[in-house]
Amino acid sequence: MIAGAAGLGLVGGLGGATLLRTVWTERARSSRWRVPVGWLVLTAAIVSDAVWVGPIKGLALGVAMVAIGALLVVARGRVRRVARPGRETSLAPEPFEGPSRGAWRGWVKALLAGPLGMTAAMALAFCYATWAPGDPRTRLIVAGLLVPFFWAVAMTWTLADHRLLRSVGMLVGTTVAGFALAAVKGLG
Amino acid sequence: MTISTSIARWRGWPLSPATVRAVLGGHGILGLAFAAVIYLICLSGTLAVFAPDLEHWEQPRAPSVAAIGAEQLDRAIAAARRTTPSGTTLYVTLPTVAEPGAALVAYGPKLEREWTIDASGALVRKATPFTDFLLALHIALHLPRTWGEFLVGLAGVALLSSLVSGILAHPRIFKDAFHLRLGGSRRLQEADLHNRLGIWALPFHVVIALTGALLGLSTLIVGVLAMLLYRGDTAKVYAMFVEPPPPLNAAASPLPSLARLLAETQRRAPSAEPHQLTIERAGRTDARVTITSTRPRLLVPQDTTIFDAGGRVVKDQHPRDLVAGTKILGGIGQLHFGWYGGLPVRLAYGMLGVALCVLTSSGVTIWLARRRDKGRAVPLWERLWASVAWGQPLALVLAAVTGVASPGAGTVLLVWLVASLLLVAGAAALHWVAGSTIGHRLRIALAVGAVLLATLHVATVSLDPAAGLIDVILLAGGAWLALPRRQRAAT
Repeated sequence: MIAGAAGLGLVGGLGGATLLRTVWTERARSSRWRVPVGWLVLTAAIVSDAVWVGPIKGLALGVAMVAIGALLVVARGRVRRVARPGRETSLAPEPFEGPSRGAWRGWVKALLAGPLGMTAAMALAFCYATWAPGDPRTRLIVAGLLVPFFWAVAMTWTLADHRLLRSVGMLVGTTVAGFALAAVKGLG
Repeated sequence: MTISTSIARWRGWPLSPATVRAVLGGHGILGLAFAAVIYLICLSGTLAVFAPDLEHWEQPRAPSVAAIGAEQLDRAIAAARRTTPSGTTLYVTLPTVAEPGAALVAYGPKLEREWTIDASGALVRKATPFTDFLLALHIALHLPRTWGEFLVGLAGVALLSSLVSGILAHPRIFKDAFHLRLGGSRRLQEADLHNRLGIWALPFHVVIALTGALLGLSTLIVGVLAMLLYRGDTAKVYAMFVEPPPPLNAAASPLPSLARLLAETQRRAPSAEPHQLTIERAGRTDARVTITSTRPRLLVPQDTTIFDAGGRVVKDQHPRDLVAGTKILGGIGQLHFGWYGGLPVRLAYGMLGVALCVLTSSGVTIWLARRRDKGRAVPLWERLWASVAWGQPLALVLAAVTGVASPGAGTVLLVWLVASLLLVAGAAALHWVAGSTIGHRLRIALAVGAVLLATLHVATVSLDPAAGLIDVILLAGGAWLALPRRQRAAT
């Protein structure tokens, strides 16, 4: 059963990605209809797996197999080139590399992305755990999943934001307010 | 490229070009800061997915029964009790169609011992030093448990953040979704590889990073929550999910017959199959036997029947009785490790795990190539990264060689540690050798190591067909790694 569902996910990934590739790579206006159909095939493969082997098992397996199928389409369409030094440019954005404004900024950013980001993430998650409706065990587990997610978002934001005071204010404020609100309500 | 052209090209992307560049800058800093740890965790995690296969490869003569009777289980438990102190908790895993083999783990405050159970109920001590080393490396990096798990959790958060920022900083996400241009400039080739792997495997990688981060940070989260709400009493948080122990009563009492308990469990949940037995305080009046059972469509066992020392049912719960939180909690580990659906799932996880390793490595390579392109090459970091990217698989192969050659010596961790340190120190010291040369030589050394490992395993352990498949993979992998790579016209 699992092997069959894995095969279905793989075929769905191959089919859906092939449809999308035709439009996105060749940019043929006449075949724009393939975009929604491609997404539909990818989604249908995942949903079919979920229906076939069980909601969570199938969803996880479907997501993995569709990814493998799509990556096989990418690999199949690879092109090999001969490099011409100095003539190759990328249309992709380049990272910001401004002049160094002191090592202390790096340490402050590490502090913001690390410990302060973590406490702010915990404060928000514990607020959810204490104030959201539903069974306390479910709230607690969802809050547990929210901690790494909020922390990751805080990391992304603080490392990209050049205004340190704004980040400090936001994270400290969130931490204090979040922990206070969570302590007031409790898990009930 | 002018700003106006950039804006035209990024039309429709929610972030401004300046924000995209700032996010990309943060993505690079975070990736570089955690690259080695993330790579090591991903590499060990990819191999840890195959832990059941590796255990069989290390000990192919260990019994692997398709089914086991209650009488044989009684015998196995009695044998385990004779060799462990009173009060030790015994965990018995029963064979399933997807995962044959019965196992018994004895766990106590100062004891952890594992056996496999043969068809007659006799115990065979588990001797899988490399797999044990690998799992401990992935879970806590062989550091003190609390610190190691926190570091792994932090790396999971950093990976999650890198995935988020990687997507935000990719305005051409759809236009370039299928571009894979090899052989041109090193930077563009690696960027194509990095972006394609990062995008198409994104949902899977987010699940792995999120579940891994939670597994690593759970002790800290529970600790902080307990400090906030229960004056630091973490037991109150855990009590929400764990059945409280029965009142103490050390008077002797025989363990009830497992045949009767298993029959009662199946009567209560006919569509579920008993999967694990947990036996606490065996031989005492306050003993408890917990039987959990699986259903084919569920990720984890959700049928639990608990018996007391007299064999009476004290608790019986089924999927309909569980709240969502309890179900999610049970599934986090399974979703992370991919141990829920047999070999097809492990293969899928393995392939996407390799993709995550390549994603991490290519991120560093892009940074190194960009520096070189701009005339600001960092040869030391090029050498060091080569010693991590190719050196860690080599160090793991050397650790596996040690495990196969002398399973009882307990030197697997030492060999890996010494090899890792020597590789990094050597790469730092060899300042006259280019990083690409070090990478090439380590790749060849890895190829030789893989072939050596397979040969040693066949010669010393067994020619068992299932275990032999790993040897074939090692030989084929070694041959592929030794193949000359197509030369790039420019770097």
